[in-house]
Amino acid sequence: MALLEVKNLKTQFTTRDGVVRAVDGATFSLESGKTLAIVGESGSGKSVTALSIMRLIAGPQGKIAEGEITLAGVNILGMSDAQVRAMRGDRIAMIFQDPMTSLNPVFRVGHQIGESLRVHKGMNKRDADAKAIELLDLVGIPHAAERVRDYPHQFSGGMRQRAMIAMALACEPDILIADEPTTALDVTIQAQILELMMELQKRTGAAIIMITHDLGVVAEMADDVLVMYAGKQIEYAPADDLFYDPLHPYTWGLLDSLPRHDIVDKGTLCPIEGQPPSLIDVPSGCAFHPRCPYAQSRCTAESPQLRDLGDGHRVACHFAGEPDFLRRCMTPGGEGV
Amino acid sequence: MAKYILRRIAQMIPVFLGVTLALFVLRIPGVIPGDPIQLIVGERELTPALRAEIEEENHLNDPLVAQYYYYIRDLVHGDLGTSYQKNREVVDILFDKFPNTFRLALAAIVVEIIIGILAGIISAVKQYSFWDVLVTVGTSVFVSVPVFWLGLLLQMFLGIKLKQWTGGSVFLPISGMGNPPDFVHIILPAITLASVSTAYVARIMRSQMLESMGQDYIRTARAKGLTDRAVIFKHALKNALIPVVTYIGIDVGALMGGAILTESVFSWPGVGREIFLAVSQRDWPVVMGGVIVIVFIVMIVNLLVDISYAALDPRIRYGGASE
Amino acid sequence: MHPPTEPSEGTAPIQVESTQPGGAAARPSRTLWGDAIIRLRKNKLAIAGLIWLVIVVTAVLSADLWVPKYFANPISTEFASLESPSAAHPFGTDRIGRDAFSRVVYGGRVSLAVGVLAVSISVVIGLLLGTLAAYYGGFWDAMIMRTADIFFAFPYTLFAIVLLAILGPSFWNVFIAIGILGWPSIARVLRSSILSVKENEYVDAAHAMGASNWRIMTRHILPNAIAPIIVYGTMSVGGAILTEAALSFLGMGVQAPTPSWGVMLSEAKSLMVAAPWLTVYPGFAILTTVLAFVLIGDGLRDALDVKMKD
Repeated sequence: MALLEVKNLKTQFTTRDGVVRAVDGATFSLESGKTLAIVGESGSGKSVTALSIMRLIAGPQGKIAEGEITLAGVNILGMSDAQVRAMRGDRIAMIFQDPMTSLNPVFRVGHQIGESLRVHKGMNKRDADAKAIELLDLVGIPHAAERVRDYPHQFSGGMRQRAMIAMALACEPDILIADEPTTALDVTIQAQILELMMELQKRTGAAIIMITHDLGVVAEMADDVLVMYAGKQIEYAPADDLFYDPLHPYTWGLLDSLPRHDIVDKGTLCPIEGQPPSLIDVPSGCAFHPRCPYAQSRCTAESPQLRDLGDGHRVACHFAGEPDFLRRCMTPGGEGV
Repeated sequence: MAKYILRRIAQMIPVFLGVTLALFVLRIPGVIPGDPIQLIVGERELTPALRAEIEEENHLNDPLVAQYYYYIRDLVHGDLGTSYQKNREVVDILFDKFPNTFRLALAAIVVEIIIGILAGIISAVKQYSFWDVLVTVGTSVFVSVPVFWLGLLLQMFLGIKLKQWTGGSVFLPISGMGNPPDFVHIILPAITLASVSTAYVARIMRSQMLESMGQDYIRTARAKGLTDRAVIFKHALKNALIPVVTYIGIDVGALMGGAILTESVFSWPGVGREIFLAVSQRDWPVVMGGVIVIVFIVMIVNLLVDISYAALDPRIRYGGASE
Repeated sequence: MHPPTEPSEGTAPIQVESTQPGGAAARPSRTLWGDAIIRLRKNKLAIAGLIWLVIVVTAVLSADLWVPKYFANPISTEFASLESPSAAHPFGTDRIGRDAFSRVVYGGRVSLAVGVLAVSISVVIGLLLGTLAAYYGGFWDAMIMRTADIFFAFPYTLFAIVLLAILGPSFWNVFIAIGILGWPSIARVLRSSILSVKENEYVDAAHAMGASNWRIMTRHILPNAIAPIIVYGTMSVGGAILTEAALSFLGMGVQAPTPSWGVMLSEAKSLMVAAPWLTVYPGFAILTTVLAFVLIGDGLRDALDVKMKD
């Protein structure tokens, strides 16, 4: 049995203008020690999926309308508030996109790191502080013993993110959810942070859910990839399969819109036409059909289900996998079907 | 941090000098109606000899710049002159009355802190509830109410009427400090003085709490599994409290200077009332001396508030990022 | 005592100008002011305040038409003294036999006039000096702001009292004094508002497009910077009314026999036992009028999405 199983998750927000279907039927699983990347544009529902797992969806406007989320066999959605709080930070931990605003500016870094230890492990202040120093050291912050008494604004951006990672790993969680952890950082720092995360994963055996819009990050880290669009899950495959044999037109579009450094004869970029749809007024049938170069009448009428096309590769497209369904726009020198 | 304090003090000095200058200008004959020498002499007959003597004594024939110099010199030595009316040193008069105003201001601050902060927190935490609406509307009302009218109403209902209704047994005193001064007498004036400020404190507390609770670090705290109580009273409150404490600190100064209305309504023998009486009697040394002292105290209090703000907010206390 | 206002931070960015005229509910407006009006309309408290204000202003301005006819002349002393409220005298009569209701209505003239005039003076001076300080910076900025600091150093009420002692208490001097006391706040708010708008990148963009300084100031900076002033000004009227009432109560403001709410309250003070109604009604008039301005000001602030640092 997988460590984390999500089945048909539907999370909605009720606003003045209507019901926002932020996540509309996500199904995936996560094994211990593996990394799942959730990819998509802004508003695709990736962050909300993560927040749903942590039960951090703010009611009464927001609610998890349907679905099942099981952690080692226990249904998270059925847990009491106390059980959820016990789970958060201890069994599942999360780090967020902007470490400057995600850390409380009026508390020392060491104190914030030690907080989960004091709450979940019942440590006293002295022990928690000592462990905090260890953790800062672990994430590669020099002079940890002095830095532990600093305030967040005294850390640089990269260091703050490392501190957040230290904070998340304090109780040795089974799952670490990282919501765009490198988006707010410089490119060089990005690489360091990702390397750090992979190293820590090897050491602790934690599973990672990496939420990102950056396919480069996915290529580095992911074992499995989940592609989301307009709240729907449109492709789900092991990372290699996704990059070498993508089956959904949106995925093709994503891969094709990446500028390639390794191609000498550069053609034009093939961006995906149009804008992501409103999550209140989701297009009928397949949510992607207004922007899909391959769309046909069936796509407007019928919403495609997630089909398993073998080897754990699942796609939600009516035509995916058919022999003459070919990728049209290809970057020169790139691999096509 | 020390640099910060020094800079603030350096800023204060020209402003203080400006204040003294403004007050000094008032003393120049002709600016304020009335002959100052006549006022000094009072009832006695003003012979030319007497006039000359007084002019000499008070340096009134010297160039203005010299007069200003004497004025400042006296100020630095703590000499605020002599009252026209009472023939006492201004310093003595003020010394008598200041503790009373201070006591009143302190009582008002206590009310402000307890009620204002609590109301603000509850209103923010239970947003849109009955309590929140009550606080929001209530603060709007209290911010619009004339302080002295509130005082009159309190006198009327909790003093006079209450006395009537309970046949004279239960009531709150409506004037003076009591002889000897006792606690009961301060209740009504303190509530009156505190009312408007409490409304402001509640408003600021509420808006700061709401802002604080919307921050990312609150989401992080929740993600760590902290209880709602810990999230609100530890993480959100500490951030929200900083501007509120600053406001209360500044208010101390404002209360000291603004107590005049409350002191008038309740015949509270404080500095504000003293200055006001002096104005009606054209006792300018008392007026000027009183104002200078209040300004000075307000400045010191504001400086302390600035320093404490720097101390409370770690972003100011410790400098910027280091690798 | 300070004008009822609330500390916060920042200013509102301007939005793209709409090409459609006026916009009813069907077409959501895209201008700053259009959006603001829509938001304001939804704010029930602000609307209530506005309605009450309109009622008060109409009643007060048209007083000559209906008060002497249906009630009494405010300065005529022909009635029985200290009568409690009745149909003929809804607010009773005072010690020398004047009808309190008509005095309250006419008193409204004084209060509103002082409020509006005083704030106008403050706004004019404050706008001028604030813009100068923000625009030229450097020496002028320092001079003007230090002067403002000196004003701020004085406790407000005492300053007003001393000022009036010099000028002599009267209706004219009251609003001049309050006006003079009010400019530093306006200047400071405007200055910080201009400075923060200046920082915005669209000003750089305008520069890059070759716009002159003057054009940038008037077309880009001022429209955005003005929003806090509107809010602050509205609330200041409430504050000015309170200050006038306080000064008149202390005898430093409007003098008898001109009816003013503050004067009425000072007369009522000694009559608390004999005629409590004389205390209640004028004060209530002050409260509701100021409250109207506060609610409208609050509404404007929310509608224009203005946050002001005190």
